[in-house]
Amino acid sequence: MLAVALVAVLIYWPLMLWANAGQAARSLASGADLGCGTALQCATQLRNPVIPAPQQFATGFRSLSVPPLADTSAPRNALVTGGETLLGLALASLLGLVLATLLVRSRSFERATLPWLVASQTVPIVALAPMLAVLLGQFGVQGFFPKAIIAAYIAFFPIAIGMAQGLRSPDPLQLDLMRTYRASPAQTFRLLQIPASLPYLFTSLKVAATAALVGSIVAEISTISFSGLGKMLAENSRASDTVALWVIMIYGAALGIALVALIGLLERLVTGWRRPV
Amino acid sequence: MAATSVSLRAPASRSVSGWPLLLLSALGLLALSFVLAGRAAPPDSALVWLLGVLALLLVGVFGIRQSAQGETLAARIVPAAATLILLVLAAEALLRAYGVPTGLIPTPSKVMQALWAARVVLLQDAYYTFVLEALLGFIIGTLAGLALALAAVRFRFLERGVLPYAALLSSVPIVALAPVVIKAVGLGWSSKTIIVAVTVLFPVVINAVRGLQSAQPMHLDLMHSYAASPTQVFHEVRWPSALPFVFTALRVSSTLALINAIVAEFFGTEGHGLGFRIQIEVGRFGLDIVWAAIVVASVIGVSFYLLISAAERLMLPGRT
Repeated sequence: MLAVALVAVLIYWPLMLWANAGQAARSLASGADLGCGTALQCATQLRNPVIPAPQQFATGFRSLSVPPLADTSAPRNALVTGGETLLGLALASLLGLVLATLLVRSRSFERATLPWLVASQTVPIVALAPMLAVLLGQFGVQGFFPKAIIAAYIAFFPIAIGMAQGLRSPDPLQLDLMRTYRASPAQTFRLLQIPASLPYLFTSLKVAATAALVGSIVAEISTISFSGLGKMLAENSRASDTVALWVIMIYGAALGIALVALIGLLERLVTGWRRPV
Repeated sequence: MAATSVSLRAPASRSVSGWPLLLLSALGLLALSFVLAGRAAPPDSALVWLLGVLALLLVGVFGIRQSAQGETLAARIVPAAATLILLVLAAEALLRAYGVPTGLIPTPSKVMQALWAARVVLLQDAYYTFVLEALLGFIIGTLAGLALALAAVRFRFLERGVLPYAALLSSVPIVALAPVVIKAVGLGWSSKTIIVAVTVLFPVVINAVRGLQSAQPMHLDLMHSYAASPTQVFHEVRWPSALPFVFTALRVSSTLALINAIVAEFFGTEGHGLGFRIQIEVGRFGLDIVWAAIVVASVIGVSFYLLISAAERLMLPGRT
């Protein structure tokens, strides 16, 4: 794993030069004064590089991260987005659990809604985000909450499906055993089906976490927002600040990985007796 | 498996046809919509209408319940279809009852009109978004993912070195990647194709590797004792055992591909595509066109998903 990381670092330098040289050559040919001789020398000094050079990365990181709690700094905005995502995940889990229980309990509910639940995932729900924001704004819901709702809207499906699968995972033998103990349906649900579904729940939570993060970032982009990674992406995309875009991308990636790791940690705490799947 | 799902469900009651109730509910909602459409101004007290709609929906729910009994084809299809029809009709009636302006939520009938009026533009958008971006990206991503998975299974150092990164990168939100790629490649459709390909790549790699390694050691030993060549082993044992995993990834990424093409278009296009259309029309409060675009996108999305599922059933009979 480390060797591959090393190789990646080694190809980064020539790749960066190659990606930027073309643009540098074009600006030189158009007669722009870049303050450097050849295209290759200019490749590390472009104002809007395709792939930033190391020192550009360093400046970009510094200007976006120091001081960490300023309104325009990436760590603070990442925290905001992370908060929205977590709130969205909580809402999505609630909705997902209710749906999963209904799906497992009632066959007519499953037949009436499951095709549309699947279809709802092939629908670009993110396309609904701008409208949902306008709509919620009409009812006075603004700021943090609409983004969390949009995040939840995207994330509920993997949770519902995974949880339903988990609730059905006990095999007939175990169910028979519960019956011989004269366990009520509620007891079977609480003592057998819920614990059996936990590994499925956490697997789907990991999928849902990424989905929710995408949801909150898209929601920030497509609505009026004053903080968050999505708002920074939108602003810097409009300003064509490529270095900042790269830095924000890395922050976004780190946030996604951190969220999944957080759920992994939670999983180990809750299902400590199991072998991690 | 079948035994489990049966025993966890409520016992089936006697079979009664739900048709009368469904018809009553649907026609009632339709009548409400027509009565409301005949009025010049929205009614003073919408509460009465709301109660009426809810009552008719409740009748519909009972109808759906009854038509979902049994194992016939109708019992599988009717409940889902009825749910959609009743919900659309109820939305139409409620939106009219409350006099919600079209600029906020357009009624389903307005959306259908917009769909027809803008059909040429929307079809062209769909061509860009689906064929050029989602489908092409899906194919490229799948092929690249399969190649990478084969390499990772063949060369152990790649598996150790690359797979952890693939798992790590699959938790990176694609929207963070989109602006960078679009800035680097340009505003044309190819930048969106690349983004879709990257999205599809990771699930395919991870699932294909898991599938290729799921071949039973016993089977491999057997092939070894038959003196089968590596090609034969691959063809007879590894590939068949990998296929279910690959199809799972394909089903998931078929929906991801379309969604991500649309999201990526939010970051810049040359003026084509469903995502572009949605973005532009939301800004102009042309929400009937936005919904029409969403209808187009969802029809494409569902068809694509069903196509992949059909291919799965064709190639893996007896599963799922």
